Amino acid sequence: MIKNPTVEMTDEKHLPQANVPFDQIAKDLVRTTTHGGKTIRRVSIILGVLSIVGIVALIVKLITQRDDSTQWGYVAALVSFLLTVGGGAPMVAIAPVLAKANWVRPITRISAIFSLTGIATLIMTIPLLVVLPPLVVDGTRRRSIWFEGPNFSPHVWDYIGILGLIITGLALFYTAAIPDFAVMRDHTTGWRKRVGRILSRGWIGSNSQWRTLRMRIGMFGTFYFLILIFVHFLFSSDFAMGIVPGWRDAIFPMYHSITSLQGGLAAVIASLWFIRRYFKLEKYIHIDQFWSLSRLLFATTLLWIYFFYSAFIVFWYGRGGADKAWIDLLVRGSKEGIGPMGWVFIFAGIFIFIAPWWWLIWNSVRRSINGPIIAASLILIGIMLDRVRIFVTAWSVPTEHIHDKYLMIIPQTSLPSGLDIMIIIGGICIGLLPILVISRVIPVVSIWEMQQFNLLSKPVKYMKTHGVLVAKPD
Amino acid sequence: MEYWSLNPTSLKVMQQKRNLSQIHTNKTLLNGQLNTPKWWAPTVLILGIAVVIGLSAIGVMVNKGLGVTGLSRPVYWGLFITTFVFWVGISHAGIMISAILRLTQAEWRRPVTRAAELLTVFSLLTALAFPLIHAGRPWRIIYYIIPYDFARGIYPNIRSPLIWDPVAIGTYLTGSTLFLYIALIPDLGNLRDRTTGWQNAFYTILALGWRGNPRQWKMQTVGGILLSALMLPIFVSVHSIVSWDFAIIPSVEGWHSTIFAPYFVIGAVHSGVSAVVTMMALMRWLWKWDDFIRPEHFDALARLLIVVATAWLGFTFLELLFAVYGLDAPELALREMQLFQWPWNFLFIIFMLTAYIIPVTMWLFKKVRTNIALMFWTSILVNIGMWLERFMIIVPGLARKQPFVFTWEAYRPSGLEWLILVWSFAWVTFLMLLFSRFFPLVPLFEQKESQVFTDDVKIGRASVPAIIREID
Repeated sequence: MIKNPTVEMTDEKHLPQANVPFDQIAKDLVRTTTHGGKTIRRVSIILGVLSIVGIVALIVKLITQRDDSTQWGYVAALVSFLLTVGGGAPMVAIAPVLAKANWVRPITRISAIFSLTGIATLIMTIPLLVVLPPLVVDGTRRRSIWFEGPNFSPHVWDYIGILGLIITGLALFYTAAIPDFAVMRDHTTGWRKRVGRILSRGWIGSNSQWRTLRMRIGMFGTFYFLILIFVHFLFSSDFAMGIVPGWRDAIFPMYHSITSLQGGLAAVIASLWFIRRYFKLEKYIHIDQFWSLSRLLFATTLLWIYFFYSAFIVFWYGRGGADKAWIDLLVRGSKEGIGPMGWVFIFAGIFIFIAPWWWLIWNSVRRSINGPIIAASLILIGIMLDRVRIFVTAWSVPTEHIHDKYLMIIPQTSLPSGLDIMIIIGGICIGLLPILVISRVIPVVSIWEMQQFNLLSKPVKYMKTHGVLVAKPD
Repeated sequence: MEYWSLNPTSLKVMQQKRNLSQIHTNKTLLNGQLNTPKWWAPTVLILGIAVVIGLSAIGVMVNKGLGVTGLSRPVYWGLFITTFVFWVGISHAGIMISAILRLTQAEWRRPVTRAAELLTVFSLLTALAFPLIHAGRPWRIIYYIIPYDFARGIYPNIRSPLIWDPVAIGTYLTGSTLFLYIALIPDLGNLRDRTTGWQNAFYTILALGWRGNPRQWKMQTVGGILLSALMLPIFVSVHSIVSWDFAIIPSVEGWHSTIFAPYFVIGAVHSGVSAVVTMMALMRWLWKWDDFIRPEHFDALARLLIVVATAWLGFTFLELLFAVYGLDAPELALREMQLFQWPWNFLFIIFMLTAYIIPVTMWLFKKVRTNIALMFWTSILVNIGMWLERFMIIVPGLARKQPFVFTWEAYRPSGLEWLILVWSFAWVTFLMLLFSRFFPLVPLFEQKESQVFTDDVKIGRASVPAIIREID
């Protein structure tokens, strides 16, 4: 049995540091809630203003273009993007936690915080529900996953699904944050102390409280995963496939979900890089987190091409009318040559797959702090382009063609209007603002997770090599 | 402040150190090679007879033609192709267990890897035999691959999945064999040092001068990791390509679905890992490897299977849902036939019960997961279900009456087909037992490495199992 296995190593790749006192961890991380006050306030104001501009633009669009569903593709793409990135990010923490991976501990909080972007998703979905055609159009029932269901089934159930996802995400975030609210209660003064006292709900760290906490995290994590897949299934079917005649693509909901994991990973890597740098958390966020995350990012990048190709090859070989229409609409963007959406597809492919794949294939890139952020940024841009490709083309199909066997004419590509641009920028700002605000209330790196991390994971010297001794309590 | 619960049952976790001496490990795990068990020879003899009977049945079929099977218009793909897909599915066990769990550094993989890799190799060999058998005149298969009539412009269609199939499976077989062999080298060195006479000469050649110096260990480890990473895309491509044999054909209802590739892959993992469970139980019982193949390993595999099976169920649901989503009359008629018409409805119920409902419901309970007999039987149930799944995918779409098809018959596999199916199981088991006579089924070096990499750490008053992870 190893009694005191730790050795001192200062090189960042051999972190975590040995024997850092619990109080020191608490102090260091509580400090992040007050760090960079003025800058954060300025950025928050800018985000707030842009958010308001976005909401105003959304209202104006709803008033002026309510009757023309073909104009709503960019809003649908934005909602899908927010759902993809914001919805997928909490999964980054959940899956490794369920698998008892130790490296994930510094990441759990920032991943869970992304569930707050759900506020933006909820707001932006409302006008989409207004313009989404009911199940019975011109007296005839259209194809949908709801078959003979009530006329507004997609409208009701999709919103309930998104709401459920956000509530579960917030419950997960809050549950895992309770011990840290208690730390805020005990280590801060003023309004932070008051908030900590209220939200910590009498946390004293008793055995039963820890047991309950572990159980709740596992429960909410599992629920979140199931609801996330379900919401992606609903959203992709109702807001894309269902409004394009002849588009029958069983893999598409899974494609949508897989890109959500990819987008979530990219968002977490980007935010981790940001908080490490600007909140001075080099001591707590190490190369190991970037290394592990970028391996997962690499895997999901390969999954993107696999899921896309699995659909593409079936349509390509099928050569039926509906098969060809799918390729013309969603890949080429035109019946002849390459249309504007064809170019969007090409750039999406480069950003989501080709460039990150080539970049992340190198271990030296994955095993670095600055390497993964480049891939993550490319992927986030690529996912936005991919969502534009899918949703703008899907929504550009006029409602009068909804009952056709398949699409005979590829509709004109609609370019984004000024309102669309304002809504997209505003929507992303609404997503980011709560994250920034919450970083003032609670540390962006979980204190209790870091304390456990340091307790259970020790750098050791083994023979001539360095290693980490990872204790794994059941 | 207590951060984790430590009760007596939780002590039996995967990482917990078990002090097994190297002598004990060698003696126990080499008992198949150095002290052949009494049951081995009679079992191999019985299986050998079964193999000969099966081969004779194949010979009869080649001699008489496909008329001795139940295959007839319009069902030309039946039991043989179903069994081909089934064995390709089983072959996914090796890479799932060995490569993926190796790359993710799952400690509990160690006693299982060799058997899983072996199952991959032998099931692929068996799978490859079925398209040959199915062809009726196996020698004509060559025309699929080699251009044979330039003068009349008749070429094999290289864009056809029927060409990709042997290429992908051949690559997978080559890679898997290399993977198996590289992981076997240290144990071959061990056997070389413990044998005399022809056996010593045999192991000396195969051990490739293994002495276990640091350079050789490094190369062996790097080789394993590199092959793991290289094999993963092949692993995915193999069953994807098999699925495209069906999915790219729009004329058969139930086949032209975009989800087939990942659906087949996840189904393959489900059946492959279940087959590994079956094998592990047999290995533990037959060779008495209770110290090495423990209930915790079954527990871990069952947890993995719950996740895999549920993902597979999700894909099944999507496949069914989007089949009827289009509201096309022929597709609806097929699904109605599959779900509500005799005997397909009966087969469908058996398939769902055996592939998911019964086993997964049972695996939710830890008592079942750690009960080896129950794990053995549930894993067999899964593979009955997964065989039926392939049958339900392939046959009904062909068997349903199409417009302008005026001769059709219900497909009823002949006794000869069933005999060849049984032969395939006897053949794989026969090969495994033959292998076990000469090579260890549990990697010795992995067991010993596990002893070094696991430890206990004292944290506060608790003693917590721990693993050493290299980071250099």
